[in-house]
Parts: sequence; structure tokens; C-alpha cells
Amino acid sequence: MISKLLEVTQIGSTPAGLFDIPEKYWPDAGQYLPCQRITGTPEVLVTNLFRTVGLAGGLTLSPLPENWYPGDEIAYLAPQGNGFHLPSTVSRVGLLAWGVAPVRLLPLVRLALDQNAAVTLFYNVDNDQDILSWVPSAIEVVPVSTLGDYLDWMDFLVVDLELAALDALAGVISGAVLPFEGQVLIRTPMPCRGLGACGVCAVKTKRGWRFACKDGPVFSLGEVLHVAQ
Amino acid sequence: MWLNEDAPLQKQDFNLAQPFVNTAGSLGFCPDLQSIPYLPRLGAFITNPISRYSRSPARSRTCLPYEGGFLLHTGLPNSGISRVIRQHKHCWAGSLVPVILHLLVETPETLEEMVRKIEGLENIMAVELGLPADCEPHHLQAFMDAALGELPVVVCLDPQQVCKLGDAIPDGQCAALHLVQPRGCLPSRTGEIVSGRLSGPGNFPVMLYMARQMIERGVPLIVDGDAIHPWQVKALQEIGVSAIGLGGVLWQTDTNVIFQLFDQT
Repeated sequence: MISKLLEVTQIGSTPAGLFDIPEKYWPDAGQYLPCQRITGTPEVLVTNLFRTVGLAGGLTLSPLPENWYPGDEIAYLAPQGNGFHLPSTVSRVGLLAWGVAPVRLLPLVRLALDQNAAVTLFYNVDNDQDILSWVPSAIEVVPVSTLGDYLDWMDFLVVDLELAALDALAGVISGAVLPFEGQVLIRTPMPCRGLGACGVCAVKTKRGWRFACKDGPVFSLGEVLHVAQ
Repeated sequence: MWLNEDAPLQKQDFNLAQPFVNTAGSLGFCPDLQSIPYLPRLGAFITNPISRYSRSPARSRTCLPYEGGFLLHTGLPNSGISRVIRQHKHCWAGSLVPVILHLLVETPETLEEMVRKIEGLENIMAVELGLPADCEPHHLQAFMDAALGELPVVVCLDPQQVCKLGDAIPDGQCAALHLVQPRGCLPSRTGEIVSGRLSGPGNFPVMLYMARQMIERGVPLIVDGDAIHPWQVKALQEIGVSAIGLGGVLWQTDTNVIFQLFDQT
């Protein structure tokens, strides 16, 4: 399927793009859309884009490669993988963007607020003040370093982090039994987007090895935390 | 093509109906038409690498893009030959195209065990040997002897191995050679030097050069040229390769790029 990049924008400091993709192919938060620019020389690797908040009139995906421009034709596939699922019963939600802007988590804010949940965003905004314009005022924004203070408050935690950062997160959330439920979007290369079962995106879970491209990239926090990678 | 119509067909003959294959590691273990719409255009489906016992992903698994393509380091995870057979034998038997099982060579003993387990499975066309990076010429005869059985044997050599092992391949035991992508190293983001297979357009001139050298051996030759343009397919075919191995290009989101390669023939 071929789409056109309509507009390039920024969500905070993160490049994003508005695409004219039919709504039935819009990924859920946390799912990814394998994309390749086909204008000019074909790209060697796919770029896996995620849904974020953004402009009206289309689908905004991020993080956009820096060399993609409005008017570029993009070949894309149907949404892949498992996205976030916010249980309807949760009332105190933490969103943790670990070492990255919370662009992949922001679509969950509206969902959480719609079910009258209180939301705290853990993010170090020092270098990315502009991101706050995309965060509703009802959301509390606090530094990542305060996460430990909120462990008793949350009943659901949503995380976006690189695979290599799982151990660091485990250091903050210690104890074999988590005090809350949660989900984590694990960022890791997914070049074959499941077609090749190449294994480069393998994630070790409590039930054995899984592939982020097919079984993730969103995993249950309890399945992957405190599991040595 | 290498089919000599004047010669009688023998057990070790290896004939592809189409001049394309996928490379091991590019399309998984099961030739599934739903996810691989161009499957009928392949002369054979080559599985991901299979080892005697299960292998976990590498600790430093990564995909590192660079100007000429990308380096992939995975550790070649798989659940081991017995389990892979259990999981996929029905899929192989029902496949539209014949299947070549890519076996990770570790020792002659484990290779022989794997070959024996495969014999008798339906729709298996050949076994393909992925030799260890440190394979020496004096190891090769033992590996070839271990692999000999009912199925034709295809030997994979990367450009570095062609120089070291090319002359050591025993005459008559190898149904075809498969020139596979080179190995390389790159520093990861953490500075650790990671080695793996290189994929991408930067490989093409090297692979074409090596293919020209190898074609003179008179053994059927499959070449992973990392072709992404029809002119690259044409160039490989004009020097007489028997089949072209497609790798990273199969992961493109635009299947037109793939179909235009097939349409070159």
C-alpha cells in the first residue's frame, strides 16, 4: 500500500509526519506501521513508525526519519504487533518515557482521561519543553527520578524504553511481585517485521524467548521485568 | 540453467524450476503463501539456519545500519532440529515450492545426526550447509562426508570463505555452491565491536566479482547479490549464475520492488 507524507511536524523535539492513510490501517497505540520511502532510491531497511498525537485530518506517526519530506511516497503495511491495552478498571495511571520523548505514550492520555483516571507522566522535560503543549493540563508531569515515590500510588504503569534499559527499570521497581500491573513498549530493531523470524528483536520473558515484532512490541511489565536479557 | 538435458537425472541432481531463492534467515522456517505472496516465484524456499540443539539469541543481538546497508547479528536462534521438524514438517510437505533446509554446521557428528533426521521428510529438495566462520580446509572433507545421504548438498561460502575453502570442496559431493553475504564488524552504539552478516546494496560489486570467479568451477552457483534493481539481476544472470538469492530486499514493504526483480527474467 502506498501513502503520501502530507506534512512534517514536531511533537516536542521529535519529528513526526501526517499521512493520508485510510483509518482502517491506523495502528493502535503501541502497534507499529512498517514504512519505507519509495520516492528516489529504495530504502534498504523499513522504518517502524508509531501512532502519536498530532494534527487533525489524518494519522500522525513518529519518529519520522530526518530525510523524509512532504510529498514523499511511502509504502506501508498493515499495523503489526500488539499495542497497549489500558484496562477499564484502572484509576491511577503512570506513563514513563525512559530516555525518550513520550510521543508513543501520548495517545493513551486521552483514553485514560476518558475513563476518569488520574495520569502522571514521568518525563524529564528540561530539554523538551515544547512537548508540554501536547500534554493536557490535567496531567501531572514529574521527573523520571521521582518514579520510586509513586510506586504506591499507581495501579497501572505504561512504559516506553529500549530493551537495554529494562535492567535499569528493574532497579527502580524492585521486588519479585509488582505492586501494580503495567505494560512496556520495548524499543529494539525489528528489521524483518516478523517475516524472517530473524531473532534480532528477541526479548526474554518469564515464559521464554519472544519476538518484539510479533509478540510485542508491547509486553506485560510483569513478563519482562527482572528477567535478564 | 544447469540442467543438462542430455545427461540422465541422478539422485544428487539439483534443479530449480525458477532462478530465485530466498537466503537463509530472510523468510523464517515455513513457506507461508499468505505472508510471502511471491513464494511461487522462488525455485526453492530456504529455511532459517537450524542447529542440532536449540540456540538462544545472541546477547549482543543488533541491527546496525551503515551507508552500504546494514549489519545483522542475531545468534541465529532456533529451537533445534528435532523441534523445528515437529513444528514445520507439515508446512514443508504442503509447500508450493520445494524446501531446502539450512543446517548450521558445528561438528561432523551433529551434522550427520541432523541429516539423518531430515531424510524421509516430504518436499525437501536439499540440505544447505552453513559452515562455521573458523572452518579450515581440513575440516571440510569431514563435514561433506557427514552431510552425504539421500539429499543433494549445497555448500554456503561467503567471500572470505571462498578464498580459504573454495579449493578444498571435494569434487562430486557438492550439488551446488551458494555464495552468501560477507561477514563484517561495526561498533555498536555502546562502542562494542559487533560482527555479523552484511546486507545491502554495498555488497553487490563484491558479490558479482566473486561470482565471476566461482562460475568457472563448473558447479551450479547460487549468489546472494543483495540485488534490489532489475539491472543487478540481469548482470548476475548474464555471467551464468544458476539462481539469485534474495535477502534483505524481501523485507521491503513495497512488494513491487520484489516482483520487478522476478520480472527481469
